[in-house]
Amino acid sequence: MSEHAITRRSFLAKSALGAAAVAGSGYIGFEAWKQAHADETGSLQRAGHSLCNSCSSKCGFTAYTRDGRLSTMIGDPDHPYCDGTLCARGYGYASIAYSEDRLTDPLKKNDAGEFEAISWDQAYAEIAEKIQSIIGSDGPQSLILINDPRPSGSYYTKRFMNALGSANVYTHGVSCNMSKNSGMTQALGAADFTSDVANAKMVMFLGRSYCDGIRPSSVHALQKAHENGCHVVMVDPRYNNSMHFADEWIPIRPGTDLALILAMAHVLVKNDTYDHDYVANYTVGFEDWAARLEEYDPAWASEITGIPAETIERLANEMWEAAPQSSIEQGWRAAFGCAHQNSGETARALCLFNTLLGCWGLEGGAYFPASASAGKLEDPKFAAPAAPKEKIIGAAEYPVSSSGMGVSTYALSLIPEGKVKGVIFYQSNCVAGYSNPAQLHDFVAGAELSVAIDVQMTETCQACQYVLPDTSYLERLEVPEFVGGTVPVVSLRDRVLEKVHPNTKPVDEIFSELAEACGVGEYFQFTVDELADAQLKTVGCSLEELREEGTHTFPEKQLKYALKTSWGTTDKKVHFTSEACEKAGFPASPGWLEPKVTPGSGEFRLIGGKQAIHTHTQTANIPALMEITKKYGLERIWMNAQVAEEMGIKDGDEVELSSETHTGVTRVHVTNRIEPTSIYLPSHYGCSVEDQHTAYGVGLRQMDFVPFHIEPGYGGTMSQETLVTVKKVGA
Amino acid sequence: MTFEPIWNSLIAWYLFLAGLGAGAYITSSFLAWRHPDATSMRKTGHLIAPIAVAIGLVLLMFDAEAGLHNPLRFFYLLSNVSSVMMWGVVFLSLFMVVSIVTVVLDFMKRPVPNWLAIIGVALGACVGAYTGALLGVCQTFPLWNNALLPILFLVSAISSGAASVLLVSIFGHAEEFNRVGVLKKFHFCLPLIELVLVASLCFITAQTNPAGAESVANMISGDWAVAFWLGLVFVGLILPTILEIRLLFFSSKEFEESRPAHYISAFSDAGVLVGGFLLRLIITMAAVPLTVAIPLL
Amino acid sequence: MTRYGMLINTKKCIGCYACRTACQRQNGLEADIDFIRYEEIERGTFPVVGLEMVPLQCMHCEDAPCAKVCPTGATYVTDEGIVRVHEERCIGCKYCMAACPYQVRVHNPRTGVVDKCRFCTVNASEDNPMCSCVEACVTGARMFGDLDDPESEVSRAIVELDAHPIMGDLTKAKLFYVR
Repeated sequence: MSEHAITRRSFLAKSALGAAAVAGSGYIGFEAWKQAHADETGSLQRAGHSLCNSCSSKCGFTAYTRDGRLSTMIGDPDHPYCDGTLCARGYGYASIAYSEDRLTDPLKKNDAGEFEAISWDQAYAEIAEKIQSIIGSDGPQSLILINDPRPSGSYYTKRFMNALGSANVYTHGVSCNMSKNSGMTQALGAADFTSDVANAKMVMFLGRSYCDGIRPSSVHALQKAHENGCHVVMVDPRYNNSMHFADEWIPIRPGTDLALILAMAHVLVKNDTYDHDYVANYTVGFEDWAARLEEYDPAWASEITGIPAETIERLANEMWEAAPQSSIEQGWRAAFGCAHQNSGETARALCLFNTLLGCWGLEGGAYFPASASAGKLEDPKFAAPAAPKEKIIGAAEYPVSSSGMGVSTYALSLIPEGKVKGVIFYQSNCVAGYSNPAQLHDFVAGAELSVAIDVQMTETCQACQYVLPDTSYLERLEVPEFVGGTVPVVSLRDRVLEKVHPNTKPVDEIFSELAEACGVGEYFQFTVDELADAQLKTVGCSLEELREEGTHTFPEKQLKYALKTSWGTTDKKVHFTSEACEKAGFPASPGWLEPKVTPGSGEFRLIGGKQAIHTHTQTANIPALMEITKKYGLERIWMNAQVAEEMGIKDGDEVELSSETHTGVTRVHVTNRIEPTSIYLPSHYGCSVEDQHTAYGVGLRQMDFVPFHIEPGYGGTMSQETLVTVKKVGA
Repeated sequence: MTFEPIWNSLIAWYLFLAGLGAGAYITSSFLAWRHPDATSMRKTGHLIAPIAVAIGLVLLMFDAEAGLHNPLRFFYLLSNVSSVMMWGVVFLSLFMVVSIVTVVLDFMKRPVPNWLAIIGVALGACVGAYTGALLGVCQTFPLWNNALLPILFLVSAISSGAASVLLVSIFGHAEEFNRVGVLKKFHFCLPLIELVLVASLCFITAQTNPAGAESVANMISGDWAVAFWLGLVFVGLILPTILEIRLLFFSSKEFEESRPAHYISAFSDAGVLVGGFLLRLIITMAAVPLTVAIPLL
Repeated sequence: MTRYGMLINTKKCIGCYACRTACQRQNGLEADIDFIRYEEIERGTFPVVGLEMVPLQCMHCEDAPCAKVCPTGATYVTDEGIVRVHEERCIGCKYCMAACPYQVRVHNPRTGVVDKCRFCTVNASEDNPMCSCVEACVTGARMFGDLDDPESEVSRAIVELDAHPIMGDLTKAKLFYVR
């Protein structure tokens, strides 16, 4: 029996005598419920094909409605990410269309700091006037836009900003996979490879858990690997849910994955067990790394990682024995997407280790997915605005960061000094998630112009002057989404529901109309339908066809396994050494770099991580998902059982969690599933927006405990570079 | 697992009041047999019976919200003969009829025929035992799923019913109250029998399986410990026993019939009522289902 | 005779809750009405740890205790062995919840009706696409079919994988677990 139940029981025991008094309260809302369900009698209609919006995977599905209301959702077997099944979030998040907390009208903050509804015309006119005035006084580069990339969002935000003359379009990258992708790009000239898990003999995961941060096709691959007898190793401070399909758990201290990789590389180089041909023919700078690796023996790494030296040695040897059907999986946000001071270097080292295995492009190794994209659009109305002359803000200061993502937090930090004056957010809860929320709020609130476009009131919206109501993803057609995979596809997010709130607008309309108001409407003289159709025609398809088909595959572009011999770097080779890294202050080839903070006595590293039912803070206000959190106490922090016993803390106790920036109270889950120097705080909770009636006040927010800082060179938010103490409440 | 008790205190009130009503009727019939002169007390018991049961039934309907919203659904109540609750409805309905007829006869100052009283007592016994059987057939809960429970609830029902009649009489019909010695002695015995039954229930249930053990632990050392030891065992069973021993066996007749003694009796009877309610409440709420922990491999 | 049953392979269950939210979507349930509940079992001591997730839902017992105690006949067993609820007969007495040994009957606090898993996947077909728990399971941990047909996928899997009811012969359950 869980502590959860006992708490509930005690409550009942104490209140039972008085319960008779509230007996009648049960049927409040019954009429409302009946109303809501009265229409569930019609027949099932195929409403069309859409792309899920509950996470960045954007899985394809067919939506069915009953009397216009969303009913069944069927995962698309052809979509490379969904592979026929959706995850819990997909089914739950779809109810966002009907959320009682939707934004329904454009809002403007008044002098008292309260939002008032205004007309779209007023919103456009005022925002455009400010944009033009900022451009007039400070130039277009003092405007920035931040968005979590979605099909239409990516297209329209970039087009809009470029039309204004600004290069400053940022993604959520700094708080996601910025460091990982940037580090990989330094080594390989490309990021986002895929370990061929399903066909591998051995795969090592560093912090990433396919079964927690779910992309269904990845879960399928891992399951297949497990069934095929692949040796799956999970290196993670936590015994994550992917352990169901893994053979070994290697608990590691957070922020030390780099040491593990260096030591395993040391073993391979020392034993002379690496792919000499590959290294000789397709790489540069190996000698530099080999020399640097000498000091990083397993005994050294054991001290840092907490993994026994013999285990490190064994794992390295087993990886080599399985090579080239082995690789270290690329990770995502998890351990080194944006977590530590050494995250970028960890990603770089990871690629170099895989290079030693000679696994690139081979079956069972690691490959780059086959891709497809729309061709050039002939019609001049689709011509892109001229590319801005200047680079995205932050590219110079964080020279090895991925400019495709951009260091948004750095750009925001320029607001107080007046170098950035206007900021627009599209589908981005930057304030709650990208770095320290209090600091980000202050930055945004200090801007001359701040606009957020979203479906519900968020911490970011609250910091802004204007809030524009987006339609939900189910209520609009978007630009077709090209997705890479073993077979690349183009997939459609079509409108499957009629607008629920008449005064909301889809993203394409918002940016087209705002562009018009800003005087750059000439770049938006088309509808999204026309754009989609034109793009699809370049690949032998059409909007009409894709509406039927949902996902169109390109079998002729199917991935073919072959040793990868040409890379995206300037000389087409894998770079063991990087000049850019050297210039940015790192060693030419990756060496050990300490995390920024190291726990002393009584201190823990605070780590985050996804649960299968939530995506960052975006899904916390969905009742169907939050009810799971509440029922199973998923908002609790995790603490190692032995540590808890020493501290006199029991499962379910209330504890006070403190860092240099924040203190909060929550309950604790005492478990053997976490290594002793870590405290795990699920990354989805602690919403501070009262208008999110479901999410508000549940749990703690990870980023509150993290100071505002940026990973040198790579630009990541260093989301796990903070130390916390834990104290039992009342003790 | 996240187990929450299925029924709340409404059901405990219902079980208590149904039992109390049945017990009150049985008490009145006992009075008619052994203390035929105590007519006011007898009528008191007759009156308490339908009122208590009716209040209990209203509470039950409040708990059955789906029926409350759609009262016509209550007409389905006699559908399933394999349901103990269906039989409960039958017993309660017939008991209500008999007890109301009895009250009407009392009101019209007409004698209650023996056959009617016998039927009423039989139905009362059925109602009292039914409240235990209702829980008892639930295989899920070891604390309920045993043969002791209907007997315990029946004894407690009669005890509560008698206590309610005695308590009202102390303030309404003190003269008659002084003359019903046999009833008082019987009434004195009941908490003692209950004590034995409660102890047996705990000992046996604790040995059945983990869920049984956890249920008993909930009662005697868990969240319900204070209500169990202080409320049920001390106030509801031991204190009345001590007070009644003092009054029945160690007091002069003068003292026994004095007002202070009446207050002691009233205190004792109130204790029995508190205990009667708590017995149902604790047993309803502290029970833990078999599947609270599914077996490990 | 057709006698429907289900198999749940907990070795494949990753505890992702997709079956719960899919079920809610398929059956139009509110957020707090969950026909599936989960038991997470952690074993061992750091760093030697084991984990099992066991989804529980109506076992569609042939001798359904909930149907036996239901005073209004709202809960009943169909000819195909599916335990169903006549919503319009249910008075909400919760007796079925007390009688169910698996604690998988679900009280709707708005209607008062006590609901449960409907084995809805029985209606899934190409013409009637469904995201029931069986169809939605990311790892294919669930199977559904006719237990009386020895050739059905579910019947064969029960034999091959040595699946058993979760609590032995407590009731004649038609959900079989591989653990």
